[in-house]
Amino acid sequence: MKSLLDLILRLDCWLLLAPLLPGIINKVKAWVAGRRGPPVLQLYYDLARLWKKSVVMSTLASPAFVILPAVTWVALLGAAMLLPLGPLGAGLSFRGDALLMLYLLALGRFATAWAAMETGSAFEGMGTVREVSYAVLAEAAMIAAVLSLSVQSGSLSLATMLTPSLGASAVLLAAGLFIVLLAENCRVPFDDPNTHLELTMIHEAMVLDHSGPPLAAILHGASMKLLLFAVLLVQAVLPMQHLQPLAAAGLLAGGVLGVTVAVGLVESLLARFAFRRVPLLLTAAFLLCLFALLVAWKGGVP
Amino acid sequence: MTGLLLLPAVILLVMAVVVGARWPRLWLGFTLAGAGAALGAALTVFPSGGGWEWQSKFLLGGETVHLRLDGVSAVFMALAAVVGGAGAVYARGYWPDHGHPATAPRGRVWWSALVLSMLLVLTVSNGLHFLMAWEAFAISGYFLLTLDPRKPAVRAAGWLYLATSHAGTVCLFAFFTLLAARTGGWDLGPLRADASCAPLFWLALAGFGMKAGFFPLHIWLPSAHANAPSHVSAIMSGVAIKMGVYGIVRFSGWLPVPPAAGWVVIGLGALSALLGIAFALAQNDFKRLLAYCSVENIGIILIGLGAALLGREHGDAGWGRLALAGALLHVWNHGAFKTLLFFGAGSVLHATGTREMSRLGGLWRRMPWTAGLFALGSVAVAGLPPLNGFVSELLIYLGLFDAVAGRQASAWAAMPAVIVLAMSGALALAAFAKAGAIIFLGAARTKPAAAAHECDGWMRGPMLALAGICLVLGLAPVLLWPALASAAAAWHPAWAGAMSPEPLATLGWVNLGLAATLAAAGSWLWRKVRANNLRRAPTWDCGYGVPSAKMQYTSGSFAGLAAGWFGWVLRPVRTLRRVRGHFPAHALRLERVPETVLERVVFPAGGYVMEVSTAVRRLQHGRLSAYILYVVAGLAALGVLVFMESLP
Repeated sequence: MKSLLDLILRLDCWLLLAPLLPGIINKVKAWVAGRRGPPVLQLYYDLARLWKKSVVMSTLASPAFVILPAVTWVALLGAAMLLPLGPLGAGLSFRGDALLMLYLLALGRFATAWAAMETGSAFEGMGTVREVSYAVLAEAAMIAAVLSLSVQSGSLSLATMLTPSLGASAVLLAAGLFIVLLAENCRVPFDDPNTHLELTMIHEAMVLDHSGPPLAAILHGASMKLLLFAVLLVQAVLPMQHLQPLAAAGLLAGGVLGVTVAVGLVESLLARFAFRRVPLLLTAAFLLCLFALLVAWKGGVP
Repeated sequence: MTGLLLLPAVILLVMAVVVGARWPRLWLGFTLAGAGAALGAALTVFPSGGGWEWQSKFLLGGETVHLRLDGVSAVFMALAAVVGGAGAVYARGYWPDHGHPATAPRGRVWWSALVLSMLLVLTVSNGLHFLMAWEAFAISGYFLLTLDPRKPAVRAAGWLYLATSHAGTVCLFAFFTLLAARTGGWDLGPLRADASCAPLFWLALAGFGMKAGFFPLHIWLPSAHANAPSHVSAIMSGVAIKMGVYGIVRFSGWLPVPPAAGWVVIGLGALSALLGIAFALAQNDFKRLLAYCSVENIGIILIGLGAALLGREHGDAGWGRLALAGALLHVWNHGAFKTLLFFGAGSVLHATGTREMSRLGGLWRRMPWTAGLFALGSVAVAGLPPLNGFVSELLIYLGLFDAVAGRQASAWAAMPAVIVLAMSGALALAAFAKAGAIIFLGAARTKPAAAAHECDGWMRGPMLALAGICLVLGLAPVLLWPALASAAAAWHPAWAGAMSPEPLATLGWVNLGLAATLAAAGSWLWRKVRANNLRRAPTWDCGYGVPSAKMQYTSGSFAGLAAGWFGWVLRPVRTLRRVRGHFPAHALRLERVPETVLERVVFPAGGYVMEVSTAVRRLQHGRLSAYILYVVAGLAALGVLVFMESLP
C-alpha cells in the first residue's frame, strides 16, 4: 500500500510538475525583455489542446511515426523514475541504475531520430544528424560525471551516489552538468527553441511533422527531460541527505527553480552559438566533468 | 552425455558435407540436426560446470586424439551451432539452386565444412590438431567467401582474406611449436603455473587477433564481409571472427600471461571500439558499415577480457569475473544481433541489388518484415534497453566501475575504457539510426528501391528466430548466468561459484517491465490517434509543396558531422566540382572513406618490401661465372670467420 502511494506520488511529481519548467523559463525571458509573456501554465493548455486534435501524417511515414513518440516518452519517464527525488528516495534502485538511466535517455533519442527520418524531410534529417552527433560528446560528459559521482561515493546506484561533497568537485560538476543540460534539452546557446527558421534548429527540426497527441507526448517528454536533468544537477551538487524531509524537498524544489531561472537567464543574455562552436562547448563540458572526476579521485577514500 | 551428442553432431555434419552438392533437402536436414546436436552438447556442459574430456588411443599425425569441451569452448560452440543452423535455412532462400546453379551446391558443402571445422577447433585439445582444424576452418571460409568468383571485388577480397589469415596462422604455428617445445608435447591443457610460457601470449594475441579483426588487424574484414554472400557474411561476422576471440580467451585462461597483457588488451579493445564505430558511421555501403561495427563489438569484448585479465592479475578481484561474464555474453549477443542484421542486409541486397545506402530509401513499404527486424537489430546493437546488447554492456560497465572503486592501478585503465564505451555506444546509435533511416525510411531514391520485394519465408524464419533470441537474452538475462559462471570458472578456477550478480535478476524484471510499458503506451497512442482522426499529407518541407526524393539526407550527409571529428584517422577522399559561371554544367561532391589502414599503411609498406626484394633479386641473374664468384667469396668469408675464432 505504501509503495503504491509512493509510486503515485512520484508519478505525479514527474508527470504533473514537469510542464511547469518551460513556462517558468518563458516567464523569466519575458521578464528580462520587459514583456508580460505567456502564462506559466501555457504548456498545460497546449498539451490539453493537442491531445484532442486530429493528426496529420506524412504520406511517406509508416505507422511507427506516431508510435515512436510513445517510446520516447516511456523511456524518459523510465529514466526519471530511476532518479531519487530528495526525501522520497529512488523508486527502484539497483547497482548500475545510473547506466540504465543514461541508456534510457539514448533509447529516447533513437526513437525520436527514427521517427524524424520517417518523413524523408531534409530539415528533419538535419535535426537528427545534429542530435545524434552532439549526443556523442554529451554522452562522454555524462559518463565522466557518473564516474566522478561513483568515485566520490563508492557506489553505482543513483540512490546512494548522489551524495555531493562540497568543494571544487561540486563546482566543476555543476558547471559541466549545466552545459550538458542546455545541450541535451536543446536550449540556447546550442539550439533556439523559439526560432522560426528550421535551418538553425536541432530538436524542433526533428519534430516538425508531428501533430496532435504524438506531439503532446513529445512536448511533455521534453519537459520531463528538462526536469530530470535539473533534478540530477541539483542532487549531484546540493547536500540534502541529512536534512529533514520537508526541508530537503524544499531545497530540491528551490534548486530546480534556480536551475530553471538560470536557463531562462542564459537564454535572455546569450545568443545561439554557430554550429561549429557547439562541439567546443560540449568538449569543455566533458573536460569539466573529467576534472571533477580527477578531483574526486584525489579526494581520498570515502 | 556430452560425448553422446557431440559424436552425432560430427557425423551428421560430415554427412551434410557429403550429400550437400546433390540433395539440398537432405543437406538442410543433416546440417540442422548436426547443429542441434552441437547446441545440445554445449548446453550439457553448463550445468555440471566440470566439462567433458575424451582421450583416445587413435593416432592422427603421430599424436593421440584428445578432445575436450569446457565452459569456455561451449559458449562458442552454442553460438556456432545456432548461427550455423540459421544460416543454412537462410541460404535456401538467399542463394537458391535455381538462381545460382553452379555455386549453390558448392556453397552448401563448404557451409557444413565450415561449421564442422569450427566445432573441431573448439574441441581438439592438441596443438597439432588445433592447427589442422584451424586451417580447415580458414580454407572453408575462403571458399564460402569466394562463392561468386566472377566479380573482381570478390576475388580481391578473398585473396586479402587468405593472405591475412595465413599471416595469422604463421604466428599460430610459432605459438604452438614454441609451446610444444617448452612443455615437451603437443597436448594442450591448463598450464597456469609454468611462467616460462607467459611471453607466448603475444604470439597468440597477434595470430588470433588477425582472425578476430581488432583494430588495426581488421584490414581483411570490411571487404570480406561486404563481398561475401550475406549468409556467409553473417557467419563470418557472427561466429568466425569469434574463433579468434576464442583463441585469445582460451590461451589467456590456460597459460600464464605477461603482466602487461591486461593493459594491452584493454587498450586494443578501446581503440577498436572507438575507431571501428567511427569507420562504420562513415561508410556508404551498408554491409561495410556492419563489418566495421563488428570491429567495434570485438573491441567491446576485448575491453571486458582486458578488465578480466587485470582483475586476475590484481588478486582475483570479483570485478574481473563480472567483466569476463560481460565479454562472453557479448560474444553471444553480438552473434545474435549481427547475424540478424546481416540477414536483413542480405534481404535488402536480394531485393534491390545494391549495397549503396544512398540508392535505397522507403523500403519499409515493400519490406515491412525486414524493416522491422532490422530496426530491432539496430536497437540491440546500439546497446539500448530492453534488448540484449545492453545487458552485456552493463556487465562490462559494472566490472569497470568496480575496478575504479578498487582504487588500484587498474582504475587508470578502467576509467578511459568506461568513457570510450559510452562514446562508442552513442556513435553506434548514430550509425544505426543512419543505416536504418537511409535504407528503410523516407522515399525511394531509385527505381530498384521502389520495386523491392519482401524476402521469402526461408529468409524470414531465421531472422524471426534470431530476433527472438535477442529479445529473450534481453528480457531474461538471469537464465544465462549458469553458462557464464561455468565459463568464468573454466577460465579461472578461483572464480568458481554460481552466485549470480544481483543486478542481472533486477535488470531482467526492469527490461520486462520496460518492454511491456513500451508496448502498452505505443498501442494506446496508436488507438488515440486513430480515434482522433488520422489524415495523410505531404511532408512539411519548410513550405515547399513538391519535395522530391533527392532532397532527403543521404548516407554521406548523415555521417558528415560526426565523421568530420574523426577526419584525422578516417582520411576521407573528397571530389569536389563547384558551380561556376552563369550556366553551370553540373556540380559534384563525392566523399569516400577508404580502407585507411590498408591503403595508407599496409599497401605502402608492402610496396616498400617489394622494392627491396626487387633490388635484392638483381643478385640472381643466371650468370654462372658470377655464381662461382659468390661461392668463392662465401667460402673465403667462412674461412676468415673460422680463422678469427681459432685466434686466442
